[in-house]
Amino acid sequence: MAIIDTPQWKYLNRILSRKGPFADDDYDNEMQKTFLEHTKVFGAGGLGCEILKNLALSGFKDIHVIDMDTIDVSNLNRQFLFRASDVGKPKATVAASFVMSRVKGITITPYYGAIQDKDQDYYMQFKIIICGLDSVEARRWINATLVDMVDINRPESLKPLIDGGTEGFKGQSRVILPTLSSCYECSLDMLTPQTAVPICTLATIPRQPAHCVEWASILEWPRIFKDKKLDNDDPGHVQWIYEQALKRAQEFNISGVTYSLTQGVIKNIIPAIASTNAIIAASCCNEALKIATGANPFLNNYMMYTGDESVYTHTFEHEKKDGCPVCGDLASDYMVNPEWTLQEFIDRLKEKPEVQIKKPTMVTERRKLYYQGPPQLNEQTRPNLVKKMKDLVDNGEEIAITDPGLPFSLRLNVIFS
Amino acid sequence: MDTSPPSSAPSSAPSSKEKKYDRQLRLWGANGQNRLEQAHIALFGATAAGCEVLKNLILPSIGRFTVIDDKLVEEADLGINFFLDQDSVGKPRAERTAALLGELNPDVVGGFRSDNLENMLSHTPELLDPRTTEFTHLLVMSPVPTPILLQLPTGIPTFFVNSLGFVTTLRIYSPTHTIIETHPDSLVDLRLFNPWPELSALVLEKTRNLDVPESEGGMSDHQHGHVPYVLLLLKYLEDWKQLHDGHLPGTYSEKTQFKSMVMDKMRTNVPGASEENYEEAIGAVMKNLRNAEISSETKEVLDNPKCLNITSESDDFWIIARAVKDFTDSNNGFLPLSGATPDMKAESHGYVALQNIYRVKAHSDAAAVEEIVRDYMNRLQHPHRDQIDSDVIQLFCRHANFLRCLNYRSIADEYSNSNDEHNKAVLAALENWDAEDSLIHNYVALRGYQEFYTSHGRAPGDTSSEDCDADYDEIKRFVCQYLESVGYTKGVGVRCEKMLKEVVRAGGGELHVTASLAGGIVAQEVIKIITQQYVPVNNTVVFDGIGSRTQTFEL
Repeated sequence: MAIIDTPQWKYLNRILSRKGPFADDDYDNEMQKTFLEHTKVFGAGGLGCEILKNLALSGFKDIHVIDMDTIDVSNLNRQFLFRASDVGKPKATVAASFVMSRVKGITITPYYGAIQDKDQDYYMQFKIIICGLDSVEARRWINATLVDMVDINRPESLKPLIDGGTEGFKGQSRVILPTLSSCYECSLDMLTPQTAVPICTLATIPRQPAHCVEWASILEWPRIFKDKKLDNDDPGHVQWIYEQALKRAQEFNISGVTYSLTQGVIKNIIPAIASTNAIIAASCCNEALKIATGANPFLNNYMMYTGDESVYTHTFEHEKKDGCPVCGDLASDYMVNPEWTLQEFIDRLKEKPEVQIKKPTMVTERRKLYYQGPPQLNEQTRPNLVKKMKDLVDNGEEIAITDPGLPFSLRLNVIFS
Repeated sequence: MDTSPPSSAPSSAPSSKEKKYDRQLRLWGANGQNRLEQAHIALFGATAAGCEVLKNLILPSIGRFTVIDDKLVEEADLGINFFLDQDSVGKPRAERTAALLGELNPDVVGGFRSDNLENMLSHTPELLDPRTTEFTHLLVMSPVPTPILLQLPTGIPTFFVNSLGFVTTLRIYSPTHTIIETHPDSLVDLRLFNPWPELSALVLEKTRNLDVPESEGGMSDHQHGHVPYVLLLLKYLEDWKQLHDGHLPGTYSEKTQFKSMVMDKMRTNVPGASEENYEEAIGAVMKNLRNAEISSETKEVLDNPKCLNITSESDDFWIIARAVKDFTDSNNGFLPLSGATPDMKAESHGYVALQNIYRVKAHSDAAAVEEIVRDYMNRLQHPHRDQIDSDVIQLFCRHANFLRCLNYRSIADEYSNSNDEHNKAVLAALENWDAEDSLIHNYVALRGYQEFYTSHGRAPGDTSSEDCDADYDEIKRFVCQYLESVGYTKGVGVRCEKMLKEVVRAGGGELHVTASLAGGIVAQEVIKIITQQYVPVNNTVVFDGIGSRTQTFEL
């Protein structure tokens, strides 16, 4: 008898015992229930509380969770497993012990650290990976890692990745079958481009309150404090930035600088509420339940939820991108003005949502274009920054780019415009 | 009139409350939060979905909640409801869920009643009478027998929720729901075809010598590259009018011509990207060159009988709406200006000067509206005549083109089987081009569930698996009756049959993930209704966890 046959699991058991009209013809309920119990799953991220609760109440027995954050007071409006007395403690351990004490018969193994701390052997033990991560970097890393793990001769090496994210009243959930369907990297261009305000605007002609805050944090802080790093979580630092920004705003007759705006700009705060997190985490776990049991067909492969004006969802199949640097095979073409300097080329790449780099190192087959480090190489290659692209690469030549934000090496074919 | 920009109030570090609720205050502000904290939510039915909704309302800090439920906790509840534990088994479900939900947020006051909706309607009707009740919003969890649904009060916003297997529906009812802060993507209204004298004067002043080369005493390249694009467009529109008998470029081809006219004026000999303002101007042509028109949503508000026939009992919303209407009628059909301007390439002082022209105009429009409001309130002897809030009037004017008024059909009308509008809506959905895959079939199947439960006192499929076939035949019979009553004659379609099987499969049981998802959707909608911000569904949303999609209907 499976554990799920106990009275506690009456309703789940009933659904899984009866074959549904939308399920595959070869649905075998007894096998699926046993499978569910042996499905080791992995969850992480800002949606972690919801994900753990949902997995625990969906019959999964062996759950692992990673989170590198500690609990902040601003989490309490939505991360419902945490109380004011938990502030400062690691999220993963507090969440795991709460859910285990509430739901009997399950094991949750927490790890307080980064998902990047673990290697492929670690991820190989799971059947399904569910991520509600809030950083693009971490999502790219787990995506690239899972794609890289796929071994054509070992079907079990393919781990479905279920990814969810929210912003305000909106969110999205998706199912990625690494190498088979569109991956996270394939859809990076769906992110809103990060249009950085030109430094000269900040320095000389601010117009918006945010320009004043960025001036204070990007230009004024390093000027005054030299090597001391700005800590966005230090109230003293934030207060200083706020005061400088306010002074500057008054000087230019700009209204609207507040403490809250200052925090929002320097920490890049994204509004988040319990209800949206609930929708997206539940959608992700619903897909996990369907994948694990076959009780109904799972999402192919993307759902966007918009709740600010009525309720609207767009459910569609996101297509694999031909030149995807992670799950595709070829370097992708990239239009370059031959008159750009290497620095201009780098600046433009930084603005591209489908690239997302911060401190790139670039090489071609025949030369080192630019190295961030070590110092000798940085010194050697720094003069290239002011050289024109046409003097550094040929039309059609491939550039390989590595970056701390990239979990893989990005290859671009330079096409001169 | 104060012409300086409103100075930033000296705001210091946030309070502990602002810190805790920071991520949501960025969505609905102190205004929305105050409304949330005034709410007292009654939950009828401590189901998994019901508790998940409350969780998502307690966390952001509603004022109070009361759980109403008459069942004892069973072992099976623990498999779906996170707000019950092993110690709860055998105890009243209302008490136990209220206790565990209450732990979520010490700022919220929780309570419970071991009771049910039917009993309260007949024995303590004052608790559900809008004139006497403390409850501001009702959450009603299915199943509820149809005769009880027909008795739900119509003076209180009510959310009726189904969560069954992989499917969930939410039906919202509210007395007339008006919204000022709809949170559109942008409030910008540039009035490029309808500039007012101060704006035209600024254009003249700031674009003098615009097209004269620097060598002939014209603008320097730096100045030329920093004229805000709004002023560029207004200047070249004047030039265009001179060339076209006073006509503005209204058609697509005229706008295209206008674009190239602007492009020709760009200085091309300047190094780098210093004429970005011209690029911004060209980019704004198609979207912003138009007459300032009133949106259909705002027209609906201004033409609403509640706006036309205001009385001393009218809500402030309708008095202000009426004032806006009068203002607009005497202002060549233009609404009060929003005053919002987008960011654009410009020098700081040039941008601020332009921004101020829009702000000052918006202030003066709002002041004129306020005068009309004051006048109406005095004439009507309105009880709020001494508490007119300029901030609310300014907010209203800022959003004048994005107002909403939602009229909800009552739940009793929907379930009475005799409402023509409801029948028409269902029929239209069943005959629509996308009917084959439409989630209207989920709804129709749940109508069958509703009638089955009302007749038999139990859910279809809540039986041994062998007896499911008989239940299926019975629920299908109810669906046939319902389809006939709405006037649909083509029988039960393929998708509907499958949905009925799915309903019987669940046997009245919830799945936690579906309940949790319902909890999220419903809480979002409750928050929108309470805060009177964003636009809630009118009136039904269906989520299908099989295909992972939603659809909305006005049923």
